[in-house]
Amino acid sequence: MKKLARLARVLLATQYAHMLEYRAEIALWALSGLVPLMMMALWIHQADTAGAIGAAGCGGSGLNRVDLARYFLSAFVVRQFTIAWVVFIFEEDALQGRLSPMLLQPLHPLWRYLSAHLAEQATRFPFVLGLMGLFLLMVPWAAWLPSPGRLALVVLATGLAFAVNFLVQSLIAVLCFWSERASALERLHNLAMLFLSGLMAPLEMFPPAVRQLASWTPFPWIIHFPARLLAGAEVNVAGGLAALVGWLALLLPLTLLLWRAGVRRYAAMGA
Amino acid sequence: MAIVRAERLSKLFQVADKQPGLGGTLRHLVRRRWRTVAAVQEVSFSIEPGEMVGFLGPNGAGKTTTLKMLSGLIHPSSGVADVAGLEPRRRQRRFLETITLVMGQKQQLLWDLPPLDSLYLNAAVYGIDDGEAKRRIQELAEMLELGPELTRPVRKLSLGERMKAELMAALLHRPQVLFLDEPTLGLDINAQVRVRDFLAAYNRRFGATLLLTSHYMADITALCPRVLLIHQGRLFHDGSLEALTSRLAPCREVRLELAEPVAAEILGTYGDVQQAQGRQVRLLIPRGQLTGQVARILAELAVEDLEVRDPPIEDLIGQVFRKGEVG
Amino acid sequence: MRRRYLKTLLRFWSTALASQTEYQANLVFDLLAIGGNLAGSLFVMSLFFQGGRSLGGWTWPEALVVLGVYSMLDGVANTLLRPNLSRIVTHVQEGTLDFVLLKPIDSQFWLSSRTFTLGGLPEILSGLGLMIWAAAVAGARPSPAAVGAAGLLLLASLTILYSLWFLLATTSIWFVKTWNATEVLRATLTAGRYPISAYPNTLRLLFTVVIPVAFLTTVPAEAILGRPSWAWLLAGGGMALGFFALSRWFWQRALRSYTSASS
Repeated sequence: MKKLARLARVLLATQYAHMLEYRAEIALWALSGLVPLMMMALWIHQADTAGAIGAAGCGGSGLNRVDLARYFLSAFVVRQFTIAWVVFIFEEDALQGRLSPMLLQPLHPLWRYLSAHLAEQATRFPFVLGLMGLFLLMVPWAAWLPSPGRLALVVLATGLAFAVNFLVQSLIAVLCFWSERASALERLHNLAMLFLSGLMAPLEMFPPAVRQLASWTPFPWIIHFPARLLAGAEVNVAGGLAALVGWLALLLPLTLLLWRAGVRRYAAMGA
Repeated sequence: MAIVRAERLSKLFQVADKQPGLGGTLRHLVRRRWRTVAAVQEVSFSIEPGEMVGFLGPNGAGKTTTLKMLSGLIHPSSGVADVAGLEPRRRQRRFLETITLVMGQKQQLLWDLPPLDSLYLNAAVYGIDDGEAKRRIQELAEMLELGPELTRPVRKLSLGERMKAELMAALLHRPQVLFLDEPTLGLDINAQVRVRDFLAAYNRRFGATLLLTSHYMADITALCPRVLLIHQGRLFHDGSLEALTSRLAPCREVRLELAEPVAAEILGTYGDVQQAQGRQVRLLIPRGQLTGQVARILAELAVEDLEVRDPPIEDLIGQVFRKGEVG
Repeated sequence: MRRRYLKTLLRFWSTALASQTEYQANLVFDLLAIGGNLAGSLFVMSLFFQGGRSLGGWTWPEALVVLGVYSMLDGVANTLLRPNLSRIVTHVQEGTLDFVLLKPIDSQFWLSSRTFTLGGLPEILSGLGLMIWAAAVAGARPSPAAVGAAGLLLLASLTILYSLWFLLATTSIWFVKTWNATEVLRATLTAGRYPISAYPNTLRLLFTVVIPVAFLTTVPAEAILGRPSWAWLLAGGGMALGFFALSRWFWQRALRSYTSASS
């Protein structure tokens, strides 16, 4: 157990030092995630000029500008901490021939990628905090502070959401063992993430049929659920967490199994 | 009329002074410290058309920087560079059509396509029409002994074949001045010889001027009657190779593996001690005294292994300084 | 001289095409991705119009014209800008920029037009198609002058987009590690999906003067819908020329401090 802890510590420390070298690039990546904030401006303006937004046919209060501001700010933060880039790094490693040496070591490459992601998030953290502060200055009337209990739930939900997104990406990456073109799936996954996860508009805005459909995919649970949680709205916490855990239970064994099969194939091909 | 002229050419670089580690990074963020590195200092020379000149010197001496200033890639900090009456840094079309730069470890050929595609691309860039381009490709291919390689993707060629194709691409526009930066780096002996033969033949056929940098003595001895020795950015010798070798104390390097370590003072009596680490010793011994000293070493010390070879340029030049022969 | 540039351009693009051997296979995915992107954008846009609202005073087909212009520009970015300008930082890192600088061809031209991505062409076409169809649905009957103005404004848009992108890509001569600054630009430009009047006033100002997103999509869309404004036309043309000149000047400035990777 101690050896494991030491390994984890060393892995994370090395990855963190590595990521620090790229902090300028990482800061820019954080900055390029400001799409939710643009949507926020659009929706708030819409709410201001045409009254509170509410889902058609869904009785109850609509979302006013405060709700919208809090939602999109939260969505921005949640997005920053649930991003995964496994397909990208996997492809690079495969192309540069770094995959083989990795497979020879007694450490599952997914652990390596996971620690890289966590280190990158740690590097990103100060920038995201700074950007959040900046954006709150622009909409001071929406400023809010979630209770510690809620914050803990948000951290839990975001962590699970990240795990699910990470596994989805890992699944796509694993498929590359069979066909190089599997990475093109990543483009489609990206699109689904963009439009169905609630980055462009809170799911309350969707027509009920579309919303139902979307909730069968993992995407809304990755962004919309934690964001609403953070924004302090009334959310079905148990339901959301259950959905995330469910997806985790499905994706984890699938990914590991496919990975094992993929590595066998890779070795057999003598790559 | 000199075709290449450098007058007190200098280049200073500002390099950030950053300490390693997290502390260094943070300090560097707060207060940036700069160091000035003088890559080239007051270098002056003049080269006539058709000459083949070698720039000799250890790594980091400033050879490549000088060449890049002459080809217009880097702006000199001070001094004058003049090639065929044009100022390199202005990179006028006439200038660019007059010169070419070949770099040993970098290539301009397109990786996934056959060299012919890159050659015809260059033909378009230099305004050579297809018929003339074809003729020139034929001519160069004959001189370089390249045939079927021209239609295979570059990534499938060996390093030697790639270098030859690189030379073709660089010379398609028949430049008058050739700048060559370590062209034989990484090539095996055969390929090195072929490249040297080709360059000599090219010079004979077209009367082109060659400026060659290398840290291999063999390149220089084979091709360049005239040698410029550059060290730490300064020009130390401009003349024939014979003059240089007679100027640098002619000596040989002797590598010893002793049975047990011997004090440096004792080793110093046999020759110039370059390195004495435990049982491994490197000495520089003047050529005239070589046999005598080696006999003494074998008689007086317990030697397990002994090797005699040509000393690296760095040691020779170091010798020059120690003997006070500068100028 | 013009012949030389033209011939070089043809050779650039024929070699680029020859290198993209896998194209046919990726075609399916490219079309899927473009289709998905368009469908998603249309869906999100439709959300704004629920309950009979308008978006910043624009009707549904009018807003689609803006989206069409945006898709076309995004297509150009993916076809020409991204593949070419993201290579600049690679050239700097590997030292192959030297070879570009030594050719008797303008280096900005070389770096900007060296290659293209075939997969981006369908996006340009779909954008154009959407633009024209939506304009027709909106009932636009633009005069020949308006069509001419629209064409000029689209040209201005392309020039502004190119210049902004090139300006940012130039910084990689100094800062190799901030190569993805162009991604921040691209993210900011997605604001152009929606008409500028849909944004609150402060952002409207930002998107007109500082980062001219308004000129990229809304202004040409207005012209296509048959209501060009000559003031905007002048401003757009002026911006295009201004930004282009700036990009050229900045590039030459950057080359002066180019230190050329060591051997």
